[in-house]
Amino acid sequence: MVTARFDELIHPPTRLAIISVLATTEWADFRFIRDELGLSDSALSKQLAILEAAGYIDIRKSFAGKRPRTSARLSRAGRTAFEGHVAALQQIVARPATLAQTVRSSGTRQP
Amino acid sequence: MSGQLKPEQASSALAEISRRQEQAIDAMLMPTWYWWSVAAACVAIGAAADSNDTVVRAAVFPIAIGLIVALTAAMIFGRYRRARVRSNELLGGSGALAIVGTAWLVVGVTIGTGFGLRAAGTPVPATLATIVGGGMLLAVGPVLRRILRRVMLANLNGAGR
Repeated sequence: MVTARFDELIHPPTRLAIISVLATTEWADFRFIRDELGLSDSALSKQLAILEAAGYIDIRKSFAGKRPRTSARLSRAGRTAFEGHVAALQQIVARPATLAQTVRSSGTRQP
Repeated sequence: MSGQLKPEQASSALAEISRRQEQAIDAMLMPTWYWWSVAAACVAIGAAADSNDTVVRAAVFPIAIGLIVALTAAMIFGRYRRARVRSNELLGGSGALAIVGTAWLVVGVTIGTGFGLRAAGTPVPATLATIVGGGMLLAVGPVLRRILRRVMLANLNGAGR
């Protein structure tokens, strides 16, 4: 059961896009995220650092030969926060319909 | 902030989430040129088999088979290096069944056509059979891609929301 919870940290467009991509993967390479989202290295690094500090993602650094590689994955806390955020957005979208239904079922006329 | 967010803004954020997730899944699925390359390599194998020329076979078989293996490995492991899709959760039983079913269908039709044509006395049964198999791959490959995409998105929405 997902608890709807609007998350201020996830909601800004760039972080929402990063988390959305990470939600489809077990983990993703830094370059993959950068290329898919069309971000600069510095912009992505900054956002990943914020998400890591919040405990929403895990950053893994390794070497492929002599080249350093950075990859990221959504942590359990990050996945829970993302699912809660999506549920909160869905609630906001459904709100007018729910309100209208409540008004209809109570027989109240809207002015 | 959620109290201030309008339904249109929330709807737009949900659309953006879907768009980004579709984009990530698309980037990890096999592209159309992969199916064309594998189909061409299969036809080359069929034509070499019909040539009855040992030198042609010795040259074509390793190159064509090597191409298929290398491309498939590059598709799987190359993409795995960039990002690993949550395949166990997102592909599920139906996705795996679609992949295995497609492979068996193409191989089965190709082999069956080859034996049938040879029994009918066709002069180049392997070439024709691999053309049929290759054509099938071109038709079925993109369909498989669409099916996997749909399954993964459905599982993502079901599992994650």
